[in-house]
Amino acid sequence: MKRFLVSLSLLATAFAATPSSAQEKLIVSTWGGNWKDGAGIIAKEFTKRTGMEVEFITGGTLDRLAKAKVAKDNPESDVTYTTSHVGYLYQSDGLFEKLDMSKIPNAADLYAAGDRGGYEMGVYSYVYTPAFRTDLMPEGFKVDSWKVLWDKSMEGKLGLPDFDPSHIVIASSIMEGKTPSDWESITDKLEALKPSIKAFYQSDATSQDLIRTGETPVQVLLSINGYHLIEQGVPVEIDIPSEGAVVGIGALGINAGTKKLDAAHEFINVALDPAIQEQLCEFHKCSPMNQKAKVSPELAKLPGIFTTPEQWEKQAIVLDDETYAKLLPLWKIWFTENMMQ
Amino acid sequence: MTQQRPFFIPFLVPAVLVAVIFAAAMFNVFQYSFLEFVPGSVEVGGFTLDNFARINRPIYYWVLLDTFLLSFATAFFALVLSYPIAFAVVRAERNWVRSVLVVLAITPLFTGEIVRTYSWMLVLGTDGVINTTLKALGLIEGSIPIMYTRPGVVIALVQFAMPVMIILLATAISQVKRDCEKAAANLGATPNTVFWRVTIPLTMPGILSSFVVVFAWTMSAFSTPQLIGGGKVLMISNVVYLQGFSSFNLPFAAVLSLIALGAALGSLGLMKLATARFERKLATV
Repeated sequence: MKRFLVSLSLLATAFAATPSSAQEKLIVSTWGGNWKDGAGIIAKEFTKRTGMEVEFITGGTLDRLAKAKVAKDNPESDVTYTTSHVGYLYQSDGLFEKLDMSKIPNAADLYAAGDRGGYEMGVYSYVYTPAFRTDLMPEGFKVDSWKVLWDKSMEGKLGLPDFDPSHIVIASSIMEGKTPSDWESITDKLEALKPSIKAFYQSDATSQDLIRTGETPVQVLLSINGYHLIEQGVPVEIDIPSEGAVVGIGALGINAGTKKLDAAHEFINVALDPAIQEQLCEFHKCSPMNQKAKVSPELAKLPGIFTTPEQWEKQAIVLDDETYAKLLPLWKIWFTENMMQ
Repeated sequence: MTQQRPFFIPFLVPAVLVAVIFAAAMFNVFQYSFLEFVPGSVEVGGFTLDNFARINRPIYYWVLLDTFLLSFATAFFALVLSYPIAFAVVRAERNWVRSVLVVLAITPLFTGEIVRTYSWMLVLGTDGVINTTLKALGLIEGSIPIMYTRPGVVIALVQFAMPVMIILLATAISQVKRDCEKAAANLGATPNTVFWRVTIPLTMPGILSSFVVVFAWTMSAFSTPQLIGGGKVLMISNVVYLQGFSSFNLPFAAVLSLIALGAALGSLGLMKLATARFERKLATV
């Protein structure tokens, strides 16, 4: 009996200890793999400054949004790392707290693209832009305009993401002198791209596989994946067309209902610190959002890395999150019905 | 009844629980299909029939037809390739031969669907094993496109379905009494005639049921057409994913899911009718 009671009290202590240790941690929802490792850079500095540990929960962009929707008033995480236009969905459904900018002093030094409307802050940017295998395309080949993708010589060579047609729709609209909101007037142009498309990729992994194996020697590619392939010795050239490259922004927001508001604000502030931005961008090979961040010359010279206001103005196509979030589902439906198969 | 089968009710409880949970989930999907999708929001709007109206487009008919044809082709080729293996597994004289065959036939079941599909991508690709070999033998100059085509998807699906088909067929073949075959042979039938006129008809119930199982299984295939098809070959599950999870249009994805379920049940009903008629015909022979 005595042994039973001792065991019972130990068990009770263990259970009681669990919530208290969870209280000491800031829970951050992020993607897995490399993205989690990048968030780890922020977490390390955050713990150093506050003494609070960070615990990550990982998942896909939309899986995590679905979970946040189900959890709603009792969020699983305190901070969410996501793509800025998906962040708009969190915001529009009341899943993000309004940010208190006085608690994020580093936000004062951001490029305009870093301000995502008061509920989330842009942390870094990347581009979706044409890239190709130099050994599988004719010598001197360049994608100096998105128009090149429609060229007859491109027949059966192009790979596009199946999960997000926004990049090609946005770029085509700009190319045709329209705005992305006028996309319905350029559907003929989009349909004319069909002969060029060989396959649609489903993830970063399949994107890299398709270009590595030469299945799709030309792709509308996430710049970060392109740099990764180059590092691995795959002869890939990333071009920024004259119309610009389509920017994506990794953003942080605070889950509505969190009990660690101050710590969550501090986490975002740490993420925007120039020194952390430098580390983060060297790690992911992405563009910093803080104008005071100084990245290495090697990183700065890569196509799609924007470190000056002029580059942002001339090379970046940035769409506001609300338009992006509202149009993406319509583009997606249209694309599935008219461009795939 | 409880006296004759004392564990009947306790054993029924898990099945009923699973059925209730499944029915509740399906009811939720059904409910979603009548709700309005609001672009730029996770929340859904009020009652609408627009999601059903949207289905009336050629693309969705083609996807359903493709799903049916790919499933049928997969079941057919899996049957043709699996029967000889299942026959050899059951009838092998030596134990070690039987063991080797069983291991070879069943091992693919222990590797995941994604792993197997990735392997097929390496085999079927432009510079994959097939194209490289054919080029090395001087049989072709350029590469034959197999990836992102229907034949490519069927090849991978057939290999995926074969272990299950082999198990089902082997069970059916093992039930055939060798005496019947011996009697036919004693009456002068050649081995070929014995096989086609005795063995095959006696295993026909197993052939039909394994065909239906693989057909139904393939109707819900996702990863293989997603990766091998590369968006150029779409089955109904892929379209549900594209609409539901890529753009968060859950109401429309719910409609597509209901149609997929209806198509699968309808196809199975039709097959059941056909097989029942076939079995009746066999019984009278």
